[in-house]
Amino acid sequence: MSLLSYLVRRLALAIVVLIGLSILLFLIARVLPGDPARIALGPRAPEYAIENLRKQMNLDKPLYTQYYLWISNLLKGDLGLSLLSRRPVQEDIREYFPATFEEVLLAAIILSIAGIGLGVLAAKYTNTWLDGIVRIFAYLGIVTPAFIWAIILLLIFGYWVPIFPIQGRISPDILLPPRITGMLTLDSLLTGNWVAFWDALKHLILPSLALAMAPMAQAARIMRSSICSDLGADHVSAMTAYGVPQNRILTKYLSRLSLIPTISIMSLDIVALFASAFVVELVFNFPGLSRYGMHAILNKDLNAISGVLLIFGALFTLITIFIDLIVAYLDPRIRLQRRGM
Amino acid sequence: MYFKKLRKLGVVLVIFLILALLASCSQAQPTSTASSPSPATTSVPYTPKDEDYIIRTTQDWPTYIDPAVGNDMSDEIALVNLYDPFVFPTPQGVKPWLAEKWEISEDHLTYTFTLRQGVKFHNGDELTAEDVEFSMQRLLTIGEGSAYLYSPYVQDCKAIDKYKAAITLKKPFGPFVNTLSVFFILNKRAVMEHLEKPGPYGDYGDYGKKWLLTNDAGSGPYKVKEMKMEEYLLAEKFDDYWGGWDPNAPKFFKESATSEPATEYALFAKRELEITSDILPWESYQSMAKLDGVDVAIYLGGMQFSIMLHTKKPPTDDVHFRKALAYCFDYDQVLKIFPGSLSKGPVGSNVPGHDPNVYQYHRDLEKAKEELAQSKYADKLDQYPVTLSWCAEVPDEEKIALLFQANAAELGIKVEITKKPFGSMITDAQSLETTPNASIVAVSPDYPEAGAMLMRRYHSSTCGSWFQCEWLQDPEIDRMIEDALETYDQQERFQKYYAIQEKIADLCPTIWFLDYAEKRAYQSAYVYWPTGEAAKLNKAISPLVGYDVYAHDMKVWPEKRAQLLSKP
Repeated sequence: MSLLSYLVRRLALAIVVLIGLSILLFLIARVLPGDPARIALGPRAPEYAIENLRKQMNLDKPLYTQYYLWISNLLKGDLGLSLLSRRPVQEDIREYFPATFEEVLLAAIILSIAGIGLGVLAAKYTNTWLDGIVRIFAYLGIVTPAFIWAIILLLIFGYWVPIFPIQGRISPDILLPPRITGMLTLDSLLTGNWVAFWDALKHLILPSLALAMAPMAQAARIMRSSICSDLGADHVSAMTAYGVPQNRILTKYLSRLSLIPTISIMSLDIVALFASAFVVELVFNFPGLSRYGMHAILNKDLNAISGVLLIFGALFTLITIFIDLIVAYLDPRIRLQRRGM
Repeated sequence: MYFKKLRKLGVVLVIFLILALLASCSQAQPTSTASSPSPATTSVPYTPKDEDYIIRTTQDWPTYIDPAVGNDMSDEIALVNLYDPFVFPTPQGVKPWLAEKWEISEDHLTYTFTLRQGVKFHNGDELTAEDVEFSMQRLLTIGEGSAYLYSPYVQDCKAIDKYKAAITLKKPFGPFVNTLSVFFILNKRAVMEHLEKPGPYGDYGDYGKKWLLTNDAGSGPYKVKEMKMEEYLLAEKFDDYWGGWDPNAPKFFKESATSEPATEYALFAKRELEITSDILPWESYQSMAKLDGVDVAIYLGGMQFSIMLHTKKPPTDDVHFRKALAYCFDYDQVLKIFPGSLSKGPVGSNVPGHDPNVYQYHRDLEKAKEELAQSKYADKLDQYPVTLSWCAEVPDEEKIALLFQANAAELGIKVEITKKPFGSMITDAQSLETTPNASIVAVSPDYPEAGAMLMRRYHSSTCGSWFQCEWLQDPEIDRMIEDALETYDQQERFQKYYAIQEKIADLCPTIWFLDYAEKRAYQSAYVYWPTGEAAKLNKAISPLVGYDVYAHDMKVWPEKRAQLLSKP
């Protein structure tokens, strides 16, 4: 099976997954406790206002009709009205998603490079003090939740040594770049607004670092363990016997092998960052989609919950496919297995 | 090969991070919005700029700045600063504001208001009676925000001439004028120019709701400069404000979304926040109080914490059982958990119309045992545990729940505690069956008078809402509340409130334990905040939410802030 046919098959499966996901999300959003119209308008709102809102939201119709209307509007790009922001959900997503996307993107860059780098370093110097430091860091990273890292980083770099801003996406005195993608760093780069770029980047560093810490530590651990377990393999002994330098064995042969499990786990971690970013966004008062999603759940904002989860679900599916392709490319055995060899 | 690529990528990232660090270390912008923390760190003498005259506060989010939509605390803070109310609340009652004077018909059904002349909206239009008529009609049609205060009573609102408006009631409503302190007037022309059609309100389309999410149409002391949904509201001084300005009055007012206590502490310590939110843990305020030039204002705001007892569900349907619980509760311990003062009856002690002589239950184990002995559940306690819910969003309520559980155990009563998100508590409260025996809830009055609290808490019309988990459904009390609210004479009305409070206390549907004190830390070294100063002197403060953060009456001295920042 070629990579192309593999991709087509995965995309076809993804469509089925997304349809199932849409039904599940629709139902989950509706089984959350509370009457959404009542929560939106408050307990003292007159009954006529509640009824009007229920009609507006189609909540007065049977569940299957609600789903049909929701899915047919979704296909037209209409995710409905958010009870929380009182705006169309797609407008909210358009506003908040780029913020979370660039935050997670930077976190992914940090965790990929630092996680893999630290793993290789620890494997190369196994059982030395350097390995010990990396291991302690890895344990700390894994057991400490992202919001604790967020608070620690905020206090260190935002308060005691105040070199980074601690809230928002950009300083109020900075001229915003014109909106192209919604990602302030990218938009400011595209328009050559370097001042805005640095300022937006500074606002991103602490939230992204807080998000990256735990998965970075995990990636370092997996990378190290994977390399270490292969160090005693026959082919490595053969290469050593033939006089291949240790550095070359480590960097050219073992790293590639060890990247496969690391990338697989890392990809899942990166996608999970989208959903788990909400506490970090709360700490840094960062107006991203995760925080918006959390508010939506707390306020039973049906359309917003469905919209946000659908976006995250679609993203998860696409990134998983993308990572599977990378793994298939890195590891010929996967492609060969599919050919039945 | 891969490792080489990886190494190159690593080098690029390291260079990238170093550049970012260098950039962050250098002060990129010499501009001086007050968010720049160090106006005094340079050796150049500090000269305050307009942006430095700012008051920044935080509150829960989102904030709706449309008077026909918003009515929670963050909304009210924004509304009182962007709009003018019809009358202005004070601890002693309301004072004329946009309505300079009013006449009331003999049947107490028609109120004719004379408007203040020369009041300008933010776009320069003059405020007239037509705007008053439009604002009331819009509020009632949309039905959100504070419409529930008016929809049961207001028949119509008409402009009589340019400066006179008449509001006709369906039935007499004694405290009507008091309720008008949350009636904010919008500029009809500005709203009509921004209708989005089609919309749910026929010819009025969306009634300007979408536009008013991020814009204002008010005449208040501040006008919207920037409104970022989910982030902040930045408002700037309206130079033509009819109330005039003090030279040191804030030129900007910023209300941001609440974040974590650590974030709020860091912002406050860096003097990037002038007044904190009121929902931080008590320990945060204590830490902030240790900072130089900071005070923590603690003041009664009208909110009352209580344990609501379900009067229609065994075993709390038995009045003796309820009284036993009320007598065994250790009230004094509450003050170690929450700031405030112990409650006295069903209405907060700072709310006009509170009965100072109403009976208040106190801890008396002997009496508790006597009451329990008279209860029909006395010998079946093991069969009737008391279910209790507390709100997950207020962690300190757990301590109250555990205290209640421990106290009840002294009588042999078993209490089953459940932590619930507020949304679930609202849902539970919607039916008689799902409401637990006991619910820990805090409630504030809608307008500064005891009638608001009595109506909200004990009238049958509010059963099914989280305001009344007691399900009192007492026709006599309903009649007494309605009668009191229809009484125009204040003295007579207050006497009727007293009688209701005594009757309710006798039924003991609730364990009233705390008149909750609002608490906010503020930068007293460079900010004059009337509420904070009144709190220091133990003076009364209007129990209406939002008005405690009315920025127009504050003063700010940026040079004093600069001095604080220049200290090592």
